[in-house]
Formats: sequence, structure tokens, C-alpha cells
Amino acid sequence: MDAVFPLVAGLHLDFNALPQQFINGIVVGSIYALIALGYTMVYGVLRLINFAHGEVFMLGAYTALLSSYAMGYSPEAVKKIFQSGGEVTSSPLNLVILILVSMAVCAVIGALIEFFAYRPMRSESRTAALITAIGVSLFLQYAGQLFLPANPPPSISDKVNPYSGSFSHVFKPAVIAEDGNVISTAMEVSITHGRLTMLVTVIVLMLLLTYLVMYTKAGRAMRAASHDFDSAALMGINVNRVVTFTFMLGSALAGAGAMMLATFEGTALQPFFGVLPGVKAFVAAVLGGIGNIPGAVLGGIVMGLAETFVTWLGFSQYKDAVAFVILIIVLLLKPGGLLGSSKVEKV
Amino acid sequence: MKNGLLQIAALSLALVSMSFIGGCKPEGTKTDEPSGSTSGTSGTASSGDTIKIGMVASLNGEQRPWGVDCEAGGLLAVKLFNDAGGVNGKKVELVIEDSNSKPEEGKSAASKLAGDGVIAIIGEVASGISQQMKLVCLESKIPMVAVGATNPDVTKDGNGLISRVCYTDDLQGPVMAKFAIDKGLKRVAVMTDKKLPYSTGLSATFIKRYKELGGQIVAEESYQAGETNFGGQLTRVKATNPDGIFMSGYFNEVGPMSRQIRQAGMNNVVLMGGDGWDSADLISNGGDAIVGGFFCNHYNDKEDRPEVAKFLADFKANNNDNLPGTTMGALGYDATALVLDALKRLGAANKEFTSENLAAEIMNTENFAAISGSITLKGTQGDPEKRALIVEVKKDGFQFYKSYEPAEVMAR
Repeated sequence: MDAVFPLVAGLHLDFNALPQQFINGIVVGSIYALIALGYTMVYGVLRLINFAHGEVFMLGAYTALLSSYAMGYSPEAVKKIFQSGGEVTSSPLNLVILILVSMAVCAVIGALIEFFAYRPMRSESRTAALITAIGVSLFLQYAGQLFLPANPPPSISDKVNPYSGSFSHVFKPAVIAEDGNVISTAMEVSITHGRLTMLVTVIVLMLLLTYLVMYTKAGRAMRAASHDFDSAALMGINVNRVVTFTFMLGSALAGAGAMMLATFEGTALQPFFGVLPGVKAFVAAVLGGIGNIPGAVLGGIVMGLAETFVTWLGFSQYKDAVAFVILIIVLLLKPGGLLGSSKVEKV
Repeated sequence: MKNGLLQIAALSLALVSMSFIGGCKPEGTKTDEPSGSTSGTSGTASSGDTIKIGMVASLNGEQRPWGVDCEAGGLLAVKLFNDAGGVNGKKVELVIEDSNSKPEEGKSAASKLAGDGVIAIIGEVASGISQQMKLVCLESKIPMVAVGATNPDVTKDGNGLISRVCYTDDLQGPVMAKFAIDKGLKRVAVMTDKKLPYSTGLSATFIKRYKELGGQIVAEESYQAGETNFGGQLTRVKATNPDGIFMSGYFNEVGPMSRQIRQAGMNNVVLMGGDGWDSADLISNGGDAIVGGFFCNHYNDKEDRPEVAKFLADFKANNNDNLPGTTMGALGYDATALVLDALKRLGAANKEFTSENLAAEIMNTENFAAISGSITLKGTQGDPEKRALIVEVKKDGFQFYKSYEPAEVMAR
């Protein structure tokens, strides 16, 4: 391969790994997309960047952790507190309960944040609201450090994940040669059951969201408020309810994403758990065109694929930088983002 | 105007996060910020009947497990010292400041201690934080004893002020390289947390020595602390068919990464790492995947030595029957005890208790019987020649596997 790219010496491209890396990128990107939806919906309605969204994500992961403790998947020390005994086996039903609890708790947290922090600021300048959002974000991080279990950083037990024992689905495309013999290829794509579940859940959630936004009364109210907040209020739409609904929806999606990451990837939880995914998802939202729902999904997927593609090239040390380089290029060429409108707004 | 404001906000955020994510400050970079209040505090610190010694520890943030152990170890050493009568009728007080696991906050914590008039500063566990503290100590001419900072640059150009009680990555990397060769691993892949100077430094020394010993590095991949999905990097690693994977980062990411390594189908690959693995949480994070892994450490609870037994008994008696969760309990104790020992020698020689005298005396340390092994600083730049332990990860804890003397590892 070196001959093909003489400029980059030592570049080793493994084309057989490309489909696998594509899947890896989609998995990473789908979680970015899920979180990005929360940023974009809130921006769409309120023109506010909710920087505390990453912290809602973090709290969702902790909710999943604590509920898993309550269900009995807890280390010995915690068992005493929850008075739960006996061995609990993993089951998909428990996963469903966990994800629903995380989504519900996050929805409530999102609504509370909006009510206590953003609503009083709504008539103030947008910069003030932006600073408030950063304040809420920092507040939640450091309050989390005081009150959430952190020493040692806990992670959801392996036992919660019913798919941790069984490994991957392996797809091995076979090529049939002209003489009818099957030639096996070196190409192989594998995906763990956990990640497959994650991917399917994200798709289901996005379809649900589309239905909610496009085909329900609440969704129509949301789109109206997003189009023109003041006129929507004049037309008799209860905009406060719309805003609460938007925050709940976005936060619930973040909760679902957090629960799945914490369960299937086994990440250690700490109060700063939401910072990196939050920043990445925000970039994804801006990349896709903030305020635009399909844009957030596209932005997330593009980010995930770009990062993985750079890793595939062999430059994993630059993969985070590349996401931001892409963002800067997109903003320079298309200031509204990939799918965002670049129409001039009335001030 | 609306759009303009947003773009500026978005772009500046992107830039800020880029520098934040793109990571580590170049080692030893001196920031412009003057550490104003600290100048001229290098005088005597023996006002009244107590001598103040400062400690910077990560009592909050990602490195809290190490910080709390380090604090407990330091307090224990001071308590034993005072119970034994102190020095020349004076007691020692340990003043502890929180670095919040952040280099900048470690620097301001050190400045605060210097302003408080401490005679020496102990800390930190992380190299990145220690390097910032070093700047303050050099300026205020206060001796600093780092606890677990293994990056070689920490003591560089220390003017006889900066020392440590742990081995350096110059030893740790080669030890793991030698171990990998002894274990028969011919092809090793390396995963580096590019956000940590510790991790990048350790990977570099490992790779260098491993190649010298005839091993083949088949892949070098990076990630950053806080990442959750290592699929992209692991797909590349898997394609190179390695015998072992060296993961030089901290336990928070190593745990989940090891699970993902097994899930990717690399079931017989030997996992290896440095002292950044040292936390009980490694096992709960990594589950069965990490069991059977090996890492390099300073000390092990289960090693059969009288110093270890005595330390554990004392620690239990002073900490509600709890044992230190990490090695940093012992190293925090060692660093503090080393300073106290130097103080005692000053007292015996009837010298004045100043930072200057203490710094010279610390560098005079010879064959100090620390919990983690004998420490000699005399004739060094502040880096003691110490043995390193290889520890195996078992389901119920870390088991001593074997130890390497520096001479064994460096010899051709």
C-alpha cells in the first residue's frame, strides 16, 4: 500500500477491516446522535445551548447504576444498604426496566433544570442564559462529586448485561468464484450483542421521536414554537408546556444513551462522565445544523465515522482533533451546519 | 446577529475543547502566571512548637482513590512521628491541600502551602500535577518529595530540591518490556492515553526497551481518558494478531478496554500495564477480562516483609480497621516518613529547621527503610534506585508475582 500513498510513509491500510470500522463508527456515532438530539431540540425551541445536557447524561448513568443496585446487582458493601440479598441473574426484562427508569428520571431532571435555572432567565439576554447553562453544568459536576458514590469509581456490574458472556455476531461474506467454489475472504465483521442491542434501541428511539414530533399534537406545538416562539404563544399554544416537554424529551434520550453506554461498555462512572460525550454531541449538533433534528443524527453519525476512519488510517492520536477540524471547515463553508438553514434571521 | 453570536460561541467552544481534548501540556511548560504570593517564603518554618509540612493530594476528581490513600498514609507517618516524641521537643503538623486531580489546581495548592510557610511539600501521585507543583517549589526554594509521579522529567533540573520515593518510567517501562520477553511474548500492541504525560512517557520507554530486547511492536494506538468505546483501535490491534497488549493508561479506562478486548475475540492475549492500574476498581471494571493481567507496581500488600506487616497493622489501627485501597497508602507514608527522617537527622545535628537545610538533608538520605523498599537519594538527581514488582490480577485482588532489580532490567 505504501506505493499508493508515497507521501505518507509507513501508512498501512487494512482494507479488509474497513467494513468492521464502518460498523464501529456507526455505533459510536449513534450514541453521539442520541445526545445531540437533546441539544438540538432545546436550541430549536429556545435558541439556548443547554450545556448541562452532558450532566443530565451523567446523572442518567448514575440512575442506571443505582437502580441496578436496587435490583440486586450490587457489590457486597452496597448490598447492606439496599437490604437486597441473593444472586440475581441477568435478563433482558431488567434491561428494559433500567432504561425506562433512567429515561424517566432524566426527563424529570431535565424539566427541573429548565424550571429552576432557565425559566427565570428566559426574558434576559441570550448570553445570560448561556452562562446560566454553563453554571448549571458545573454545579451538577461538583455537586455530583460531593454526593455521588465515587471512591472507587463504580461501574455497572457485568451481570446486568445478559450479553456479556456471549460474544459477537460474526458476518463473514463469502465470495463464490466462477467455478462454483466458495472462497472465504479475510473480511470479517463482528459486533457484540450489547452493541447490536444499543444500535437497534437507538433506531427505535429515533423512530419514536419522529412520530412524536411529526404526528402528535405536542410535536406540532413544539414545531410551531420552534418556528416562531412568540407567535406560537399568541396562537394559544402553551409555550411553557412545550418547553418543558422539549427538555423532557431530550433528557430522556440522553438517559437512554447513558444507561446503554454504562451497561454495555462497562465504563467507570464519575461525575465528569458526561463531559466528553457532551462536548462531542454538541459538536455533532452544530455540525448537522443546530436546531435541526435530522441534522443532529447526521452530525453524530458523521462524527463517529470520521473518528473511526482516522483510527483506521492509523492516526488514532488525532481522531478527536479531526472531529473539530471537520466542524470548523463545515462552519466556514456552511455556517448553518450540514442540514441547517442559512437563512437570515430577524433580530 | 443571532447567527453570528452562535457561531462565535460554537467556534470558541470548539477551540477551547480542542485544546482541552488535544490534551496534555508539554511537560515542564512554564506558564506565564506568576506565583506571586510565594516569593520570599523560604525562611524558617519552625515558628512556635510545630513544624509545618505540606502535602498536595487529589482528594477530589478522577484520582480520588489515590489521593485519599496518600493523605491517610501521610497522616499516619506524622502521627507515629509525633507519638514518638517529635524532634527536639517540636511536633510536626501536616497541612493538606486538595489538587482536585488537576495540574493547575495542584499548582495553586502548592502556592498556598508555600504561603503558609511549610518547610517541605509532599506530592503528588500524578506526574502532570507534580510538574506544576515543581515550578512553585523551585521558585520558593522548598524541597518537594513526589509520591507516585513516575515521569522522568519530574525531577529534572530540580536544583537539589525535587525528589521522589517511587521508581521512574525509565525503570517501569523496561521492567514490563523485560517481563514481556521473559513471558515469551513476541508481538505486543500498545494502547496509550494521549491525554496523560504519564501514559505517553511510559509507552515510549516500554517500546524502546522491548524493541532492544528483540520484541516486535505490532501496533501503537491512542485513546483519551473519558472515552468509552475503543472499537476502532481494537479492530486495528486485532488485525495484527498480538501476543500481548500493553496498556499504559489509568485503571478507569483499562477496565472497560479489557472487556472490549475479550469481546473483540482476543481471548488469549496477555494484558499488561504500569502502576496506573493500581486500584481495586480495576477488577470491578474489568471483570473476568482483566483477571490474569500483569502490571508493574511499587509495593504489594501480600508481600512477606516485616515493614509491610507493621505498616498494615498501623494503618488499620488508625483508619477504622480499613486497609489502603491502593499502593499510594504506602507511598504517601514513605514520602512523609522520608521527610520526617531527614528532619530528625537535622535535629540530631542541631541544625536549624529551614527549607534549605532540610532539602540538603533529604538528598543525603541513605538506605532509608521505606515500606516499598530501601531508598537512597545520596548521589542521585532525586530519583532513587528501587526495585519494581510485577503483580498479577486475580479475582480477589492483586498477587505478588515477581520482582526485578534495576540492574537486571537495564543489563544487556
